Amino acid sequence: MKLCVRFGFFILCCAFVHYGVARVEAQYLHPKIVEKKVTIHSATILPAKVEIVKESAKGSEMMVAESANISSSVMEAVGSALQQKKISVVANQFEPASMDDSRKYQLADIQTRYDALLPKLVDKSKDVKKARFTLGDEVMLLNVHKDADVLVFIRGQGRMFTKGKTAFSIINIFDLDFPFATITVGIVDARSGEVLAFTKPMSASKVLKDKKALNKMIEKSLKKLPATPIP
Amino acid sequence: MSFKRSGQVFLLTLCLFLTSLPISARAPSVTTPKPSSFEQPADEKFEFGKVDQDLLSEIKLLDERFEKEGVVFHETNLDAYLNRVGTAVVADKKLENVEWKFRALRDPVPNAFALPNGSIYINTGLLALLDDENQLAAVIAHEITHVSERHTYLRNRSLRKMMLALNIINTIGNWNPIGGPAGLAISLIASVSPFMLAISVLGYSREQEKEADLEGLKAAAAAGFVADGMPNSFKAMQRDVEGEQLNSFYSDHPKLQERVNYTSSSISADARKLTEEEAKTAKGDYLAVMELVDRHDVELAINEGRFRSAVFVSQKLVSLHPDSSENVFYLAESYRTLGPRNAELTDQQRTSGAKKKAAKTRSKRTLEEQDAELLKTPAGQEAWKTNSEKSETLFLRALELNRFNASAHRGLGMLYERLNRKQDAAGEYAKYLELAPNAIDTERVRRRLAVLRESMN
Repeated sequence: MKLCVRFGFFILCCAFVHYGVARVEAQYLHPKIVEKKVTIHSATILPAKVEIVKESAKGSEMMVAESANISSSVMEAVGSALQQKKISVVANQFEPASMDDSRKYQLADIQTRYDALLPKLVDKSKDVKKARFTLGDEVMLLNVHKDADVLVFIRGQGRMFTKGKTAFSIINIFDLDFPFATITVGIVDARSGEVLAFTKPMSASKVLKDKKALNKMIEKSLKKLPATPIP
Repeated sequence: MSFKRSGQVFLLTLCLFLTSLPISARAPSVTTPKPSSFEQPADEKFEFGKVDQDLLSEIKLLDERFEKEGVVFHETNLDAYLNRVGTAVVADKKLENVEWKFRALRDPVPNAFALPNGSIYINTGLLALLDDENQLAAVIAHEITHVSERHTYLRNRSLRKMMLALNIINTIGNWNPIGGPAGLAISLIASVSPFMLAISVLGYSREQEKEADLEGLKAAAAAGFVADGMPNSFKAMQRDVEGEQLNSFYSDHPKLQERVNYTSSSISADARKLTEEEAKTAKGDYLAVMELVDRHDVELAINEGRFRSAVFVSQKLVSLHPDSSENVFYLAESYRTLGPRNAELTDQQRTSGAKKKAAKTRSKRTLEEQDAELLKTPAGQEAWKTNSEKSETLFLRALELNRFNASAHRGLGMLYERLNRKQDAAGEYAKYLELAPNAIDTERVRRRLAVLRESMN
């Protein structure tokens, strides 16, 4: 690669890192939300699934416990962002210890339905605006609190670099191999199963360690979601 | 030799050495004959390092997570059955850091896997696909071999070496300071090394799979199961009900036909074989044990859009108990959700091209969109007509067998709703609510009924 092209890439990378590592706060709203045909008063947040891996020079390693902790943090961050929009969050009804097998299965099945839809949601997020996506009224099988208007699905991925991997990524800066975190938040009508809002913020993986940065990222990612009018 | 020249030679040698690492890592498994895991305990040749301990602790957490997330299927009889078969295959094998557990995973995809801590998971989709206990024992024996031969740890170690090599080669390739033929060679090696890595990693894994097949076959036979169970389990998987098996280069398992061939040829001529009558009995016994699992699997398959699998499994259920209202209901439900698809793949749909096209459609279109597109075609319309008629007949049959089968009323309501027979649908929903006022989906059906009534007024 010619030196000037490499230099151009380097500048781009620096800009990328400098500006909060390109926070992309893509937000897509269903026409019913935009046209205010549906107002969200309360939400139930389903258990988040944020998977992080530790990347070293020798490859990836699972971080199961850390993933669980971060999933809880992201759930809290989404909850507080919704509360700022005057959307009340129904208390967590999905503590594993409090659920029997049948309830666990129901939850797992709905999560699977969402996971099957997620790649299409990520690929064609703009189609949320065309009311293309739904999980079907099977979501009602969850029997969440009757006041809950929406279900919130949270998914995420993150890569944490070890010192060795960081060194390799700096040496091979033109490979554009960086630690990052992507989180997706899907807000689904609790009765019809329609996907009412979808956001996919992306940031440097530091947000996974820094709660403040995480909250800020989630808040920004839900910026377009209209606040519930106070009666 | 000048300094520049010796530098070139050193870099070239380093590149070649690092590139050859994956190949040499693979070589012993091909050339060195390994003692059978069932003759020599794996622990005699395996020592746990820090890397292995780290992996083990993560795996234990993962195992706990499966339980918490409701992906493990618990049913007392099934748990006892899997434990009985698994324990028979394991015999008295005791390994360091291994606690044998045999569980069913709530997943309609035919698959099984082993965690290195001794947790063996068999998907409900595979349990439903197999025909008898010998096949199940073969699957479990295959997974046990992965654990006892410490394949996960070995592969993890090997991958770590390869990844480090790759990172170094990549760095050298990116910052190659040498010009001329040597520089070109370095760049070339750096660019082809990821491909070589892929080949060697897959090759290594395929060798382990073959080893697990052959050692598993021996272990199952030693435990008193019929050795034919192994090739027959692969034949069962070859059914490919959903048309998903693609001949991909990036596959870590050998092809199924290849597995049938080498496992069949490794069975001695005098090995015990089931007579036709015995095979029939074994099949019936297995189906009877799996009845509840199969019903659960039909629900999972429908939830995940694997409608052909749902039909296949519920047909098995009906063949077991043709007069069971519950089983007939599952077949009716499977045909209803099958919609405009044909129940079995045609020869044309089984071609590689058609499978690839179908996989692409699945990845791009939602199930509703796929249904709508199929309904625009004459074949889709014909299939929907056939399936809806079959479904209605079966729902009515289920009600004939048990008039209190509330689920059959709900299914019939959903079928009529789709057929735009609103009055009939509303009637069936009302009967459902009357028979099952406290069911888990009462609110769902009530809402559907309300919407229907509103549209009729």
